[in-house]
Amino acid sequence: MSRTTGRSRNAAAATSLFLAGILALTACSAPGASTTDEPTADGDGAATASGDWTCGTDDVTLDAYLETGFPLSNALFEEFEKQYPNVSFDVREDQFAVITQNAPRVLADNPPDLMRLPQMSDLVDDGLLYNLDEAAAHFGWDEWPASQLAQMRVDDEGRRGDGPLYAMGKNYSMTGVFYNTELAAQIGMTEAPKTLAELDEWMQKAKDAGITPSTQFNGGATGGLAFPLQLLMASYGDVDAINDWTFQQPGARIDTESNIKAAEHLKKWIDAGYFADDINSLDYSQMMGRFIDGKSLFIFNGDWESGNLDTQMAGKAGFFLMPPLEEGGKVGAMSAPLTFGISSKAANPQCAAFFFDWIATNDEARTLAVEVGGSHPMGPADAFMPEVDPESVTGQTLAAGATIADDNGAMEFIANATGAIYAKSWTPNLQKLVAGDQTAEGLLQAVQADYESEING
Amino acid sequence: MIVSRRERWLGHALLILLMAVTVIPFISLFVTALHEPGTYPSGLEWPETPYWSNFVDAFQAADMWALLWSSVLIELGVVPAALLIATLAGFSLGHLRPPGHRWIFLTFVLGLTLPFQAIIVPLYYQMRDLQLLNTRWAIILPLLGLYMPFAVMWMRAHFVTMPPDLSEAARIDGANTWKLFTRVHVPLSRPALSSLGILMFLWTWNQFLLAVVLVDDPKNRTMAGALGAFQGQWGTDVPLLCAGSLLILTPTLLVFLAFQRQFVSALMQGALKG
Amino acid sequence: MNEMRTTGAPGRREVAAPASTSLEARRRALKARRLRRGWAALGLVVPAAFFYVIFVLRPLVLTVQYSFYDWNGVGASTFVGAENYTRLVEKPELLGSIVNALELIIYFSFVPVILGLLTAATIRKFAASRLALVSRTVLFLPQVIPLVAAGIMWTWLLATDGLVNELMRLVGLGSITRAWLGDTSTALGAVGVIGAWVALGLCLLLLLSGMTKIDPALYEAARIDGAGAVREFFAITLPSVRQEIGVCVTVTVIAALAAFDIVYISTQGGPANSTLVPGLEIYYLGFFSREVGQASALAVVFMVLVLAVVLPIQRLTKEED
Repeated sequence: MSRTTGRSRNAAAATSLFLAGILALTACSAPGASTTDEPTADGDGAATASGDWTCGTDDVTLDAYLETGFPLSNALFEEFEKQYPNVSFDVREDQFAVITQNAPRVLADNPPDLMRLPQMSDLVDDGLLYNLDEAAAHFGWDEWPASQLAQMRVDDEGRRGDGPLYAMGKNYSMTGVFYNTELAAQIGMTEAPKTLAELDEWMQKAKDAGITPSTQFNGGATGGLAFPLQLLMASYGDVDAINDWTFQQPGARIDTESNIKAAEHLKKWIDAGYFADDINSLDYSQMMGRFIDGKSLFIFNGDWESGNLDTQMAGKAGFFLMPPLEEGGKVGAMSAPLTFGISSKAANPQCAAFFFDWIATNDEARTLAVEVGGSHPMGPADAFMPEVDPESVTGQTLAAGATIADDNGAMEFIANATGAIYAKSWTPNLQKLVAGDQTAEGLLQAVQADYESEING
Repeated sequence: MIVSRRERWLGHALLILLMAVTVIPFISLFVTALHEPGTYPSGLEWPETPYWSNFVDAFQAADMWALLWSSVLIELGVVPAALLIATLAGFSLGHLRPPGHRWIFLTFVLGLTLPFQAIIVPLYYQMRDLQLLNTRWAIILPLLGLYMPFAVMWMRAHFVTMPPDLSEAARIDGANTWKLFTRVHVPLSRPALSSLGILMFLWTWNQFLLAVVLVDDPKNRTMAGALGAFQGQWGTDVPLLCAGSLLILTPTLLVFLAFQRQFVSALMQGALKG
Repeated sequence: MNEMRTTGAPGRREVAAPASTSLEARRRALKARRLRRGWAALGLVVPAAFFYVIFVLRPLVLTVQYSFYDWNGVGASTFVGAENYTRLVEKPELLGSIVNALELIIYFSFVPVILGLLTAATIRKFAASRLALVSRTVLFLPQVIPLVAAGIMWTWLLATDGLVNELMRLVGLGSITRAWLGDTSTALGAVGVIGAWVALGLCLLLLLSGMTKIDPALYEAARIDGAGAVREFFAITLPSVRQEIGVCVTVTVIAALAAFDIVYISTQGGPANSTLVPGLEIYYLGFFSREVGQASALAVVFMVLVLAVVLPIQRLTKEED
């Protein structure tokens, strides 16, 4: 043995040199240098300007990547397949948090024709989304009310609100407060509160009566307290200032005086015990389960549940917009298109664009958008609308949509300001607020700091 | 040995308690799986009407045959190849001991404590550049590499214990290295090989991280990865999720119960050597 | 197989015969053969080395390289020096993930090892009984199932209306029930319980097998000296299974530091990052906020951390050999 050690040392040196050589060869260029290939070229839309914005007559399969738990998409797919039998859909579903994580990878490496999009400015920045300007011109989407599409436009600075169109909505949603009418009757609440102070009172009365005022979800990677927080922000302050922040306008801040008051109001609710003890472990579906089971008086949510509540809680649920500080004051609500996009590398972008247009203009599709989706369809202001019972939740949310439009109170969701702000900043900080480890002001300052480091870094 | 009655009683009670703690989560999963879909049952409450149909629904929703087939394909891609190359390397490093064998072995050992997460990011880009994302190869190939530190060490440890005389004798009988390996050493290594095979089978079946990161389509994933996707899609329906989880667990449990002695000894040896 | 085994013994005798004839010629032949065999033998390592180099060492080196860049995974990258490392110290959630991983060691490792030791010491005397044999199978179940499944089961057990709270209410502990995974002060511990549940069976059985190897005469001698059960445990049982303890600690410590599956399923790192661990944070940074450089810097520190914790434990057990 001892005789071989000298030789084995040489061999060892040779082996390690060999290994080092392999590694050096494979790893000397900077990461990403070889991967900045063509996606932006496709994204300009120039490559596909053949002008045929239909699904043709040959068999087409559209790859779709959707959010779990929203029956509207599948209802639309079925109807579309019926009207255009050569088209079929290959559907994959995930929870929204997972889609958010996967979005860049999926769009780049496994490109879907239709995809539920999270915050999109980063995606546009990386050339991952199909530019729909040409489709918009072809189909006449430019003639719709401009506010419908504003949130889906991204300029070359990555700011939203203006610039080319990169996505389309299946409908546009409306948020506010849902309540259980039976529980409300028990505490004597027969009509929607007109001021925030009244809402506070009903919460207190519910608590005194042993009814949980709200089981707003706030667990896992999705802090649902962002819903009431933003609605409170609109009651306390100006909707445009909030939108500026969400659209990354220069100098916009979230920790403004009025927003801090809104956050303090939310903190007051937490401290008063208006939320269930375990909201930091509740996910969205658990919240819905409890609300439908009559275990929560209020939830802060959107009209995508209207259709669902009309079937599961027929006549037992109502909706109102977050009340203003003073009676008759301006109201606001998060109102965003249910955003879908097309990968810049998708196989069938024109067929997918045709599908978008069909959703907004076909009477059957618009009926589905209202009856299954519970929200207002996209499209021209004077387009067909199905009849809806004004007493139903769907009827109430549609009416609220009109109020918001009159007040110009529509806001994009603050959680969509940047790609990671919801999961990495709003959620943990809201969870800390519940746990008593964060103050109202500290919450907004922390989010502002993360926002800045994300935009600049 | 004298065992007092009290000691015996206490010991048995302890064991039964531990077994109960181990089994109750499984029972809870089962009971919950029988509740009405979409409800949030509490505790260990037996449902008024057990919804056996949940299992059928979950089986269809998860596309169980496709998942099983995918896992089987991945196992077939990983385990035999890993066994083969690890045995060759172990035989060389442990028995033939070519020049430099110590350094080579040390290089392998270097990877022994390496958590997969530490290299998952470059692995993703590497797989993307190889155009293998979303294929089963994206799981198979890295696993072959990632198992090598343990597998080579395991097989080397086995071959080190083989007396050198054994080979000398075979050589004098005219056997070359290849014959020596296939005729003499492989048959003698069967116990070591089967334990290693069982371990790698389990690790592959239960591999989650690689599946989640490198493969989007659950039908190209391992069972554990598919379970993750199932939770993502059906996590909103607890009874259905529980039924699906149980179905996904069943194959491993069946294989385990069938080969329990081999499994237990493989896992214990695996821990001892690792 | 039997045939092969027997060839070894007569062979040894034959070796001696030619050796006496021409020592010099034999040595030369041996040398030549060894050299040839050396190259052939190196060739046998190549397949394993190939996969190891391409799919482990190369990514490992790339991780180190990426950690000095700012890269979003899609566009071009910029060299930023050690910035990603300095940010590890500055950002509380990054540092916090490492602290959380260290804290998980208590639950994933100490709890099952100590519980396993006490139980094994209690039942070692009838390790061959029927019940003990059945328990071997049952206690191994958590080792066989995917950790994801363990996560799903326990998420349900630890929920507000889950079995754990129900049992606590039953024994009069209703006042402390809560959503164990949803409370910033208990979530990490709750994740730890899941890990302890997984590891307990393996530790118990490993320690038990170590204890059954102890010479019973030792115990009898101790009894005669009038030693009680406690002294017996510390004087005989504990030192005899030092190696097994070392193994249990190593395996479970690695499991704690590298925890991913359970956390991913049960809490996703929340609430308020209270269960965020390095493995999960690397995943988030690398694929979610797409800070590839930051993810890689954390990965490098993470690797060093695992080595720094595991190597001393290995040392301690190796001394025993």
